[in-house]
Amino acid sequence: MDTWKAFDANELTHSAAHHLLAIHEVGAAYGGWARVSDIARQLNITRGSVSINLRSLKTRGWVETDEHRLVKLSPEGLKIVQSIMAKRLIVKTFLHDVLGIAESDAEIDSCKIEHLISHRTGQRLVQFVRFLTSDAPASRQVLKQFRRVQTTCPDDHTCEVCKGQCLIDELKRAI
Amino acid sequence: MSSNVRSSKRPDGSSLTRDITDDLNRLMAEEVEACLRYFHMRLRLRDCDHAIAEPFFDEAIKETMEHATAIAAQIRSLGEVPTLRVNLTLGGGRVRLEAALAEALDVEQQALDAYTDLLPRVVDDPALAEFIRKQVEIETEHVRAIREFAAAKGTMKLVPTTSKTDG
Repeated sequence: MDTWKAFDANELTHSAAHHLLAIHEVGAAYGGWARVSDIARQLNITRGSVSINLRSLKTRGWVETDEHRLVKLSPEGLKIVQSIMAKRLIVKTFLHDVLGIAESDAEIDSCKIEHLISHRTGQRLVQFVRFLTSDAPASRQVLKQFRRVQTTCPDDHTCEVCKGQCLIDELKRAI
Repeated sequence: MSSNVRSSKRPDGSSLTRDITDDLNRLMAEEVEACLRYFHMRLRLRDCDHAIAEPFFDEAIKETMEHATAIAAQIRSLGEVPTLRVNLTLGGGRVRLEAALAEALDVEQQALDAYTDLLPRVVDDPALAEFIRKQVEIETEHVRAIREFAAAKGTMKLVPTTSKTDG
């Protein structure tokens, strides 16, 4: 029941993830080195905020700085960025290619959870998407049928997924 | 703070002016954020550090807001309306003076870098260039003062007796 608390305790916060990604992106053209001002522009926040946030990334050993206050990902930081990017891609692929979510929405939602799911879940998701999108007839059939299906709920709300509370109705109300 | 703000508006609507206005808006946000950080940092100081650091943070809060106001005036003199975008959540527990000063040094150094970066881009506008040049001097002095104070671990007076922001 306390799983939600794990988000606060998550070592890699959403902010940290985006700082690391920004350093990676901005530094790509400069041998990995990025200026604080460019990171700030990329994230649309102030240089002061970037500088303060970099302190904790540096403490964790995820970034390195030089005497010109340029910033670079450490090998550990680069590994984290690569895993975030991989998870973002697989979540987006799952949402878009399998569930049929619009690409722009899939991009936003994958960005929200990319750093929160475990590596193991990410790996299983890759396997699942590969299975579903493979050329195997069974996979193609499942995907085809899923895309055709229009979910209708039984009146007594006793389907095996919802177990007494219609989740589709709940989500419709929330939209 | 510079008082050398022109009353006449420049009718130049070029993209360069737009870029400079964007940079000034960012600088204003830096100053406002710094002000809020100092306000919050003062509240986080350990009791034993509070007395010694209070004058510094009081002065820093006042100066950063003065700087933000002066930048806003510069933006208005360019014929634009200032846009303030601040995205800040401040938390954390008690903090030692050394850590607070290290954070203040980061913030001041970034402000100094931002003013320094902007300076070559405004040389065609003597009044604005003069304002930015003065800000570079002020921020350079702030960085120096914080470094010295941190090095002396509170054994020197941090806040100068005469304001360095008059200008």
